[in-house]
Amino acid sequence: MTDWNAMSDADFRKEVRQFFEAEYPEELRHLPHRPKFAEIEHWHRKLHAKGWVAPAWPAEYGGMGLNAAKLLIFYEEQQRWGVNRGRDMGVQMVGPLIIKFGTQEQKDYWLPRILSCEDIWCQGYSEPGAGSDLANLRTRAEIDGDDFVINGQKIWTTMAHDATHIFMLVRTDPDAPKKQQGISFLLAPMEQPGVDVRTITTLSGETEFCEVFFDNARTPSENLVGELNKGWTMAKALLSFERIFIGSPSLAQNALGQLESFARGRGAFDDPVFRDRFAQAALDVEDHAALYARFADQLKRGETLGADVSMLKIWVTECFQRITELMIEAAGPDGGTIGPLQVGNVSVDVLASFYKARPTTIYGGSNEIQRNILSKAVLGLPG
Amino acid sequence: MTQTDTVSSEQEDLRLLRESARTLFERAGGSGRARKLRDAGGSFDPNMVRELAEAGVFGVAVPEEQGGLGMGLAAGGVIAEEAGRVIAPEPVVLTIGLSLGLLRRLCPEHPKMAQLIGGEVSLAVAWQERGPGGAPADATCRYADGRLTGNKAWVVGATGSQGFLVVAEQDGGPVLVLAEATADGVVIDKRAQADGSSLGELSFSGTPAAELASGDAVQAALAEAVADATALAAAELVGLSECAFEITLEYIKTREQFDKPIGSFQVIQHRAVDLNVMCEVAQAGVREVLALMDRETDQKVRAQLASRAKARAVTTAKRITRDAVQLHGAVGYTDDFDIGLYLNRALVLSAWLGDDAYHRRIWFDAREAEGAAQ
Repeated sequence: MTDWNAMSDADFRKEVRQFFEAEYPEELRHLPHRPKFAEIEHWHRKLHAKGWVAPAWPAEYGGMGLNAAKLLIFYEEQQRWGVNRGRDMGVQMVGPLIIKFGTQEQKDYWLPRILSCEDIWCQGYSEPGAGSDLANLRTRAEIDGDDFVINGQKIWTTMAHDATHIFMLVRTDPDAPKKQQGISFLLAPMEQPGVDVRTITTLSGETEFCEVFFDNARTPSENLVGELNKGWTMAKALLSFERIFIGSPSLAQNALGQLESFARGRGAFDDPVFRDRFAQAALDVEDHAALYARFADQLKRGETLGADVSMLKIWVTECFQRITELMIEAAGPDGGTIGPLQVGNVSVDVLASFYKARPTTIYGGSNEIQRNILSKAVLGLPG
Repeated sequence: MTQTDTVSSEQEDLRLLRESARTLFERAGGSGRARKLRDAGGSFDPNMVRELAEAGVFGVAVPEEQGGLGMGLAAGGVIAEEAGRVIAPEPVVLTIGLSLGLLRRLCPEHPKMAQLIGGEVSLAVAWQERGPGGAPADATCRYADGRLTGNKAWVVGATGSQGFLVVAEQDGGPVLVLAEATADGVVIDKRAQADGSSLGELSFSGTPAAELASGDAVQAALAEAVADATALAAAELVGLSECAFEITLEYIKTREQFDKPIGSFQVIQHRAVDLNVMCEVAQAGVREVLALMDRETDQKVRAQLASRAKARAVTTAKRITRDAVQLHGAVGYTDDFDIGLYLNRALVLSAWLGDDAYHRRIWFDAREAEGAAQ
């Protein structure tokens, strides 16, 4: 077993970079859409054979056991090379929760199946009446003999139509005094009569989001993770690392690179107004990266990140949107055209980038919610 | 010592420097002192200059073998940020960046070096000239036979300084000379600035001056010193922005309307968050630039970095001080409240050495030139 954490940052980065550059299929780099598992299965097998499916998991569970500093490097290299994250809900969300709160039986059964992608997971959190106000969720799970019986609806369930299992937050005590109490964390199989999946067509015409309906669906009671009615605290405990990851500069940096080659090909830099707006965007990205580095250093020193890390997400997602809007401007009369636009020897899908940027200010806690958090937790404003 | 240890001990040194600079400025009277000096006629306080010198402030970026502390521009940035926080009118960036920036590169043995580091004198740097339309133009001020003739514009610290470091033209090449403020033939036309300070328009007619250096080295040293001062002015604006934000945050927490603090209204909260985020991005960006400039030797790259810093700092300071006035409401528009002092200082520091639009242009052109060269 390699002790990656004992390596220098530079050596580790080199090792990760070399593996991605040598092994990751060229045609899958910077995929503009979320792939179904079949599309990336070949790559997943390579990653699995290498033992690199779960960089954050402890080695005893089949992970790489990376500390925060090394993990950041791993993700930076992944994004730099445009390596698709694959169907990583199991690795990112369920696995860590089972490792932290699950029983030995749950660990022995589920973790290897997550690594091998024998089970493919989707996340059942949001509901039509529980978006930003997630604790308002209503999907019920009631004990019936050895099973939970589930009734209700989940929405924005990414890739539910290509998943074998769902991990979900469900209401198990509707009479709890606070709505955050009475929520449990449950695992359930998708392939059963009581589960109905419908895809949602997005603005860009993709169908990666789904609605999932539960009509007396069943899951064995041993699929409860952690204590009954303690699901909310458990789910929140996982978000700490997610919060810096979601604010990483890579999306905006990649988009800026695309904008530059596209704008150059189109002659947009002849226009001084465009030059200034490009410079603004490029400097927004550079200075954001400096702030990101400050938070990353905090992690590297072993410190826990505070609520102020939310500012990374606000800045970078809004900057990403402005960059994709500049692409549309540079496209001129082609600004409404679907599909790749050819400029010289590069082709840029302007609309795909534009659409990709839109939900970034909505998901992972909308930017308005992030502003609420910063205003109360960081600035100490009342109310 | 490992590399990480070195980095963290440097960080520790900067932290201590920041603490002592902050204490010094606060003990002297904080931003209230700036108001008093403005009302008294808009000059800086020579006693404060000496106190700052005793704390080692002016020599921070001067190498140890030249009598300084050798802590680099990053340390200069710490001082500039702290000066910005209390809108101190003393020539901190002028001395660290421009005056000492020129002398240490061109004539480190000159006695004025020690006097500047010791806070005994202040020297203004006269390097720009105004063309017929009023905009910056090429140098025409001449130096011949030990005498200086011509005009210089936008001279910061022209009043209150004991002398001028003048970049002039001699036999078709650049020359740096030193003219005493009291020398014959010097006329200072003071242009009042928004913050109560003044810029000097200098005119020399046969003024006796001593040659310090000549040739291409003068142009090169000037470019470096201007880059240093530009990045330090950015740091000063970062400190100014931070404090203007803190004052505003305190105000919206205490000012009540509709029976509640106005900071409990979401529209105010979100604006406050946006200002805070801008502040943090600017602080991270500018500090990174200063650290990079300390490691970088290529003059073009250093100038481009300085432009990045000033562009960010000006955009941030403009937005924060203007929104700060808005969030204060009507009292923000009065001279009684300190927030206006910050707005006025931001106007002056933004215009000095180039504003954000100017520096984005310089930054972009440098990037293009670098791209073309590769």
